[in-house]
Amino acid sequence: MGTNVESRLRAVWLALVVVTLISWWIGSSHGHQEFRSSAPITYAVLLIAAVKMRMIVRHFMEVRHAPDALRRLTDGWIALLVIALLAIYSFKLSMPAV
Amino acid sequence: MTSPAASISSREAGTVARRPGAGVVLGEPDMWAFVLFECLIFASYFIIYMLYRMADPELFLRSQEHLSQDLGVANTLIMLTSSWLMARCVQAAREKKFEIASRQVVLTLTCGVAFVALKVTEWSMKLREGLGFSTNEFFWFYYFLTGIHVLHVLIGFVVLAVVVHQLRSPERRSQEIVETGATYWHMVDFLWVMIFALVYVMR
Amino acid sequence: MSAAVADHTRARPSGFLGRIAWHWRHDPKIELWICWWVMVSFYQLFGIVFVLMTRVMPPPRPDWDQARIVQWFSDNHTGLLVGFGIIFLVAGMTASSNAIIGYSMRRMSVSRAFAYSYIAIYSLSAIPGMLFAGILLSVGAMRPDRDPRLLAWLYDAGFLTFVGTMGVFLIGTLVWMIAILIDKNRVFPRWFGYLNICNLLTEFVVAPCWIMKTGAFAWNGSIAFWVDTGVFVVYTTAFIVLLRRMVIREDFGDGPLPDPS
Repeated sequence: MGTNVESRLRAVWLALVVVTLISWWIGSSHGHQEFRSSAPITYAVLLIAAVKMRMIVRHFMEVRHAPDALRRLTDGWIALLVIALLAIYSFKLSMPAV
Repeated sequence: MTSPAASISSREAGTVARRPGAGVVLGEPDMWAFVLFECLIFASYFIIYMLYRMADPELFLRSQEHLSQDLGVANTLIMLTSSWLMARCVQAAREKKFEIASRQVVLTLTCGVAFVALKVTEWSMKLREGLGFSTNEFFWFYYFLTGIHVLHVLIGFVVLAVVVHQLRSPERRSQEIVETGATYWHMVDFLWVMIFALVYVMR
Repeated sequence: MSAAVADHTRARPSGFLGRIAWHWRHDPKIELWICWWVMVSFYQLFGIVFVLMTRVMPPPRPDWDQARIVQWFSDNHTGLLVGFGIIFLVAGMTASSNAIIGYSMRRMSVSRAFAYSYIAIYSLSAIPGMLFAGILLSVGAMRPDRDPRLLAWLYDAGFLTFVGTMGVFLIGTLVWMIAILIDKNRVFPRWFGYLNICNLLTEFVVAPCWIMKTGAFAWNGSIAFWVDTGVFVVYTTAFIVLLRRMVIREDFGDGPLPDPS
C-alpha cells in the first residue's frame, strides 16, 4: 500500500486508541471511592470526543480532501454540538422534567 | 476530468496542487447528505439527553455508576479499529489490491459483529440486575442511544455486505460504492464516540 | 405517442382557468397531476385537521388523570367531531398518494412486485395512521357524560395507535428504499433512497411510547414525538417535491434515457 497513506492511517488509529484510553483513565481514576460529578472531567471528556470525531472525519472520511464547504460544515457541526452540550452542562439548563 | 480515485491518490502523493475551495468527497455526495442529516438528528438526541441530565444530575450519576466502563471502552476500541480497517480497505481498493481490500472489509464486518455481541451481553447483564428501559431517565437514554446505534450498525452490515459483493467480482468493483459504504461506516463510528463520551464517561 | 408530444407544442391559453381547462383536455399526464395534487391537498388538510381542529398534534399528555382527560374531550368536543368527520370523508384521498408512489416504482428498472407490495402494504396504512385514532377519539367526544374510565381508555387507545403503530410504514418504506437504490433508471436521486433509512428508523423510535407515560419517550415526548415528526415532515416534503419532478419529466417512453454516469 502507498506507505505514506498506510502509516498515516495507522498513526491516526493509534492516536484515537491512546486518546480513548486517556479519557477512560480520566473518567475512572477518581472513581474508587466516590463516583462524583466533575466539571473538569466532563470538559476533558467532551473535548477529547470532539477531537476524536474530527480525526475520524478528517482522515478516515478523507474530508481533508473535500471541498471547503464540507470541511467547514463538519468542523462546524462538531464545534456547535460540543459547545451546546458544554453550555447546557455548565449553565445547568434543563428540560422541564415532564 | 480526473476520476475521484485518481484525484485523492494524487493529492496524497502531493503531485496535484489543491485549488482553493475545490475538493473531492469520499464516495457518493448523496451518502454525505444522508450522513449530515443523521448528524442533525443525533445532535438533537444528544442535546435532549444533556437537558434531561441537568434536570437531575445526581440520578444520572448514580445510575451511570452501574455501567461497565470496561465494556464501554472495549466497544469503543472495536469501533475505532473497524473504522481504521475500512479506511485501509478503501485505500487498497484504490490501489487495485482487491484481495487485500476484501479482507479488510470482512475484518470490519467481524469487528461489527463483535461490537453487537458485546452490546447485547452488556444489555443482558444490566437486565439481570433489574435495570431496564423504564427504570429511570438515565436508563431510557442508555437503552435508546445504544439501541438506535446498534440498529445503525445492523444496517451497516447490509452496507458492508454490498461492499464485499462489489469487491469479490471483477465485473463490479465500483470504487464509488466501496467509498460510499466506508462513509456510512465511519459515521456509525463517530456517532458511537460521542455516545460513549456522554453515556459512559462524562461526570 | 407522437400526438401526445404534438399536443404539448400547441399554443396554450393564458389565464388560470384557461390553463386548467387546457390541461384537463389535452395533457396526457393529467391523471398523474390529479394524483399529485390530491396527495398535496390531502397532506394540507391532514395538517389543518390534526393540528388546528382536533388538537391531536402535538398530543396532550399521557400522564393526565381521568378528570383532566374528561376535560380535554369536552374542551375539544366540536373540533374532534367536525375534524374527524372531515377525515372520514376524505380518507380515500390517501389512495392517490400510494398510487403515484407505486407508479414511480413502475417507472424503475426493478420488478413490478415492488410497486404492488408497496401499494398493498400502504393501503392498510390509513388505519393505524389516522382512522383508528379518529374513530376512538370521536367516540370519546360523542358522549361527554360517558363514564370517565371509558373516556380514559379511549384517550389512551387513540393516542397510542396514532403515535405508536408504525410497522406498516416500516415495511413499506423498506420496499420503496430498496427499489430506489437498485433502480437503474434513476427515477429518484440516491440521497432520497438513503433518507428512507431515517424514516424507517423513526418507526423504531416511537416504540417506547407504549411503555413511557412521561418524558422524552412518551407519546408527546421530545424524541418520540417532536424529533420524529420533524424527520417525517422533511421526508414527506422531499418526496412530494421529487414526485412533482418525476411527473414533469414523464414522457411516456419518448424521451432520452437518463445519463448512466
